[in-house]
Amino acid sequence: MRLFFSGIRKLYRRPATFVTFGLLVGLIVLILILAGATASRTVGTGSASGQSSRAAIKDLLTFPGAYDRMLSVVVSIGGLFGMIYGAAIAGSEWSWGTLKSAVARGESRVRYMLLSYASIGLMIAIGIVVVFVIADVAAVASASLAGISTSGLSDTSTLSDLPERLLKGWVAVMEETALGFAIATLARSQLAGIGAGIAFYFGEGFASLLLPDIVKFMPFSVASAAVSTGSGSGLGGGASATASLPADQALVMVFVWLIGCLVVVSLFSDRAEITG
Amino acid sequence: MIGTGGVRMGGAGVSATSGAGGASGTDDLALATRGLRKSYGPRRALDGLDLSVPAGVVYGFLGPNGAGKTTTMRVLTGLIHADGGTVEVLGKPFRRGDRHRLFEVGALIESPTFYPYLSARANLRELAASGAPVPSKRIEELLDLVGLCDRANDKVQNYSMGMKQRLGIAAALLSDPKLLLLDEPANGLDPAGIVAMRDTLKTLASQGKTVFVSSHLLAEVQVMADVVGIIAAGKLVREGPLKELLSMQGVIKVRVRPNLVDGAIAALAPLAKAERLTETDRDEGWLSVHLGTNRAEEVNQKLAGAGIYASGLESGTDLEMLFLELTGGQGPSSSEGEFVGLGSPNGAQNGGAPAGKGTAA
Repeated sequence: MRLFFSGIRKLYRRPATFVTFGLLVGLIVLILILAGATASRTVGTGSASGQSSRAAIKDLLTFPGAYDRMLSVVVSIGGLFGMIYGAAIAGSEWSWGTLKSAVARGESRVRYMLLSYASIGLMIAIGIVVVFVIADVAAVASASLAGISTSGLSDTSTLSDLPERLLKGWVAVMEETALGFAIATLARSQLAGIGAGIAFYFGEGFASLLLPDIVKFMPFSVASAAVSTGSGSGLGGGASATASLPADQALVMVFVWLIGCLVVVSLFSDRAEITG
Repeated sequence: MIGTGGVRMGGAGVSATSGAGGASGTDDLALATRGLRKSYGPRRALDGLDLSVPAGVVYGFLGPNGAGKTTTMRVLTGLIHADGGTVEVLGKPFRRGDRHRLFEVGALIESPTFYPYLSARANLRELAASGAPVPSKRIEELLDLVGLCDRANDKVQNYSMGMKQRLGIAAALLSDPKLLLLDEPANGLDPAGIVAMRDTLKTLASQGKTVFVSSHLLAEVQVMADVVGIIAAGKLVREGPLKELLSMQGVIKVRVRPNLVDGAIAALAPLAKAERLTETDRDEGWLSVHLGTNRAEEVNQKLAGAGIYASGLESGTDLEMLFLELTGGQGPSSSEGEFVGLGSPNGAQNGGAPAGKGTAA
């Protein structure tokens, strides 16, 4: 537990934690406010495109369905940020040489890396809840701006399902984080991990247009599908696959990817020669 | 069992022991390697390295660049794995998976590494979370020891190299280790810091701890070390108590009139075997006698007894002479490229034979 809490303290003080969180919140709030502003401008316009976009925005911002949409937004954009964050943390342990210092003190490499990942998991759990709350507040503000009713905000059946859905969302983001963590471990570099992860994210999004039957098993697609209720689409590259697995199957695949990434991290860390 | 002994001379993969002791158990050894091998692709970094580090001493680990010092340090701390050979740490085998042995070892390998966004105090606290448990008051003691108390809350990214080095030494001492492995600990330290570090290491050794110091600062090692091991091309070429090595390796240079060189050789022959008595420069009348420097007076007497009066007499016993002789005058090894240097004005090459540096007898 010493190592786990040490990981939490390190992450809490790390600028990357707050930069990642701030960017994620800023991006989501900006998208929602712009959506509300766009919808308010289309009120009273007779154009078909205006009516169409207002209908789409109304679908996004109308509660209780907006809770699902907000969760999808948090998971899809948050997944990308989680992957970048995971890559930054894992890569820095190699490039800064801090893993080397711990190993030279007799610490287990595998334990060190897995507990680093576990501490990221706690930070991400807190982050997801906070960002989800902020996204909902922004959605309410945006709905008010657009003149959309928020009467479904206190729908008890949706609210009672939220903890389970947030938990699935956390697992999905953790899978994407594990991917970034594994890539950066293999590359022993923050930048290489982040770069390869972003390429993977957008590459998967583009590939879904050409190879949907394969891409639906890929990490970002399964993460998106695992939290999808089928009532709307999220935002983001990999999450917008045209074909997707049923949520239950997708959740299984999420675990397969997550565990697979951590096995790769463990094997590589255990066998790697730590130099430099 | 790994033996201990006096001066050990490596060569052709065989180590000979001389002096008192001879082969004995590992009880007196804090660290021992036998036949340690490690290759990076086709390049052999360690080629059957045998080290015997007695407990409670400062051990100077010397070698030219690329000789295998850092590779050895990495193997000893489990950062890399040897291709062959054995390592014993504090009397017990240290194999892959024996990481708990390192709970009693402190190490500073290459440059010190820290989280740049954390303070010195926070870095030590987080490092203490790995490996053996560390009492929190130990961190304050170490910050005080290395003189970083006043800057302990500053972020490490704002530290100078010397401050980072001091923090690295504090980190190595976190677990109050019985064996301390330090790779170039004087890097970046100012003169006062070097003196303080040297005193600290000597104090630790006097408390029964073993300090294994890899360094290229020969003068520093000469002042600090009790025992030295010199490696070249991944092999041990000499190991033993520093005083014994220097005594055996001492050089007395004598200058006589050129026409009396043969007579001087004959007069000094009883003191030194033929291979240890060489003409350095016949035209100038210089002879080199490989003897302990405490025998300079005896050399003078022998010459005078033969009716030959020396016009110059110098003795030298420094580690640099020994190092250059044993490593073939190597600066950097061929594996890392050669630093050619500017050479002397008359075109003579540096290195090779001892240069007659030393104190006048």
